Amino acid sequence: MVLVSAVRDYVNRMLQDISGMKVLILDSQTVSIVSVVYSQSELLQKEVFLVELIDSISKSKESMSHLKAVYFLRPTSENIQHMRRQLSNPRFGEYHLFFSNMLKDTQIHLLADSDEQEVVQQLQEFYADFIAVDPYHFTLNMPSNHHYMLPAVVDPSSLQHFCDRAVDGIGALFLALKRRPIIRYSRTSDIAKRIAQETAKLMYQQESGLFDFRRMEMSPLLLIVDRRDDPVTPLLNQWTYQAMVHELIGIQDNKVDLRSISNLPKDQQEVVLSSEQDAFFQANMYENFGDIGMNIKRMVDDFQQVAKSNQNIQTIEDMAKFVDNYPEYRKMHGNVSKHVTLVTEMSKIVEERKLMLVSETEQELACNGGQVAAFEAVTNLLNNESISDVDRLRLVMLYALRYEKESPVQLMQLFNKLASRSAKYKPGLVQFLLKQAGVDKRTSDLYGNRDLLNIARNMARGLKGVENVYTQHQPLLFQTMESITKGRLRDVDYPCVGNHFQQGRPQEVVVFIVGGTTYEESRFVALQNASNSGIRFILGGSAVLNSKRFLKDLEEAQRIARTSSSVV
Amino acid sequence: MATRNRTVQYKKHRDALKSVRAPLSSSASGSGGPVIEMVNASFLRSNRPSYTPLSTEEDPGPSSSGAFTIGLPPVWIDDSEEIAANIQRAKVKMAELVKAHSKALMPSFGDGKEDQRAIEGLTKEITDLLRKSEKRLQKLSSNGSSEDSNLRKNVQRSLATDLQSLSMDLRRKQSTYLRRLQQQKEGQDGVDLELNLNENRNRLEDSEFSDVGFNEHQMSKLKQSEFSTLEREREITQVVKSVNELAQIMKDLSVLVIDQGTIVDRIDYNIQNVATSVEEGFKQLQKAERTQKKGGMVMCATVLVILCFIMIVLLVLKELFL
Repeated sequence: MVLVSAVRDYVNRMLQDISGMKVLILDSQTVSIVSVVYSQSELLQKEVFLVELIDSISKSKESMSHLKAVYFLRPTSENIQHMRRQLSNPRFGEYHLFFSNMLKDTQIHLLADSDEQEVVQQLQEFYADFIAVDPYHFTLNMPSNHHYMLPAVVDPSSLQHFCDRAVDGIGALFLALKRRPIIRYSRTSDIAKRIAQETAKLMYQQESGLFDFRRMEMSPLLLIVDRRDDPVTPLLNQWTYQAMVHELIGIQDNKVDLRSISNLPKDQQEVVLSSEQDAFFQANMYENFGDIGMNIKRMVDDFQQVAKSNQNIQTIEDMAKFVDNYPEYRKMHGNVSKHVTLVTEMSKIVEERKLMLVSETEQELACNGGQVAAFEAVTNLLNNESISDVDRLRLVMLYALRYEKESPVQLMQLFNKLASRSAKYKPGLVQFLLKQAGVDKRTSDLYGNRDLLNIARNMARGLKGVENVYTQHQPLLFQTMESITKGRLRDVDYPCVGNHFQQGRPQEVVVFIVGGTTYEESRFVALQNASNSGIRFILGGSAVLNSKRFLKDLEEAQRIARTSSSVV
Repeated sequence: MATRNRTVQYKKHRDALKSVRAPLSSSASGSGGPVIEMVNASFLRSNRPSYTPLSTEEDPGPSSSGAFTIGLPPVWIDDSEEIAANIQRAKVKMAELVKAHSKALMPSFGDGKEDQRAIEGLTKEITDLLRKSEKRLQKLSSNGSSEDSNLRKNVQRSLATDLQSLSMDLRRKQSTYLRRLQQQKEGQDGVDLELNLNENRNRLEDSEFSDVGFNEHQMSKLKQSEFSTLEREREITQVVKSVNELAQIMKDLSVLVIDQGTIVDRIDYNIQNVATSVEEGFKQLQKAERTQKKGGMVMCATVLVILCFIMIVLLVLKELFL
């Protein structure tokens, strides 16, 4: 509840003291921020009868002075320019400005400059600068996510922009939670170090007054890690509901776009998957595919019962009861159709791409040992005609990440086979991935095969057997969370910024993954929080990845790296 | 949840700038501070009953630094406010109705006819209010500019949600009242029936040698039960009528009301839709313009005009030379 309720509180406070008919004006980023936590009908209850984007509202000149304008924007220079233009030709009766992050003094002066008609009633900073997709999971939806993979010399301004947005988002999160954390970062990652240091500067030096909250006994922990420490998780195919929908179809701001699928009724072409509003989804979002099928069947049976009783109208009382229950019935109908459509579509995709077969090998590559068997399995799948290109690429990448050093000849063979089979494969992509996230670059022991304790643990797990072959993978984040819970996060791997020290176990931990999070990781966080270990974890990243997005980022980064190296 | 209020700093800066600006602009506008003109739209309203957009100047020109026109809100806002007031009145009446229901259900010595009449009256008033509001609500839709139509649509939606919840509430209260009434009546009848049976048995024992026709006592009992049946039938038809009316209202309203949790309840979906529909409209307009330009009609018209000119020239020449 934490993140969603924080943003909702901010929006409530924006709207509550302003009476009368209002218009809410957002920019393209704050639209996402508000849409995931607040619904249109709730806005209508608060008398907000019009919602507009700030770019489109500049185009119209019609005066609507009976409305009061509430602006909620990010404090970027573009937005300030838009605001200046609108303040000099005001269209609305009153103007209430809210910015999602800290304003610079120059920006305030610019605004005051253009406000000749004195229409601005208030100017406040409400720190809702992150998209709260789930109660313990947030994202910053950064469009050009790939910059974190490139060294600073390639494009320093874009990298600075990336870091600024990350620092802004993290700062806003802690202001919303009213805490000031101790900051640790992943040793081997330059960008994690940079973001950690800039965040520390913001919280402890530049705006130390703003961040000066009442100290609890334990300061919370902010841990900044790099996606490249665990490149395996975004590449894997997923089998739990929310993660699977994102991997196979794609979820953006809790919305699923089904328009590419034919033969859908109009109201099912775009659907909402939000744990806040959909009780069935909340109960099933972390369940695996088999269990979901059963639960959906049960839901459909219940619904059919209700529908049948509705058709059996004989007395007047039945009629009255039907009319009473109609809204509920309609909502149930919509919900059932939505989940049935999603599961049907996903089953179709699983069939087409033979994902059961592919995923079995993927999980073997990610979790268990046996290089020879793995090589054979991957070769077989590469030879299999019905496997799609992207799945072949993923298999080779997973193999390469694991057996990078063990048998270079066989690795070369696989690369060649991949290049010959996949027409669209951009050569060198796997090597680029290895350069970025190879075994030398990663901080922790991703496969648990570096020190004896981990090897022993793995063997024990292998002997015990797994419940479900397809969901046996545990992301690196899980091990990190375990170490934090036991108070054993190594200082060598995750140094502190500055001279603050962590005594004992923190009670609140925010993990920020530079490069993006995955729904598999957010599932582990949610399950960990539900297990009442005394520590509350919050997960966030610059984007929410699936394999398609991760591969796209890799390709973009590779392209830029190539062009820049050719220039140099 | 931390926030920071920058209004004070902002206002300070704004006032500082105002004092810098004021001596410069006083020569332009002729007054010390901003001038507020009230544009009274009431005259426009009385002359033209349809919605008239406010006539505020778009680009006030050189006098902009001083003047700011505030207009009165457009006409349809009055309608929406009236509907909101009706809804409030209906809510008040519903509270009264609840009280009347509970009073009627209490056992009383009297006939209960007055209570019934009061309840019927109140129910009819509320249903009338709801129906009137609903009709008015339908009229609110318009085709003004896109922003204004969005505004209207959203106001409509919010009022429709309120109306729907009110009508559902009313129906629920009615049905509970009716159910309790039936229970009560049945209780009475049950007792009556028993008495009747006993009496009949006694009667039968007694009247083996009496008249074949109905006894007076039995006649009165029969009349009473007939009367109560008629009453109940009337009440039921009354309730059926109001249920039907409310069902009709619900059907009309459900088109307007947003289903919570679906895609249409998302803010970003609604914003996107406006953008795409405006874009679509623009594209259609462009297409129409192109087809119109290419159309044969234009060609014909041009040819005809040219011919006309030629004829006129010939005529003039004819006059000149003949």
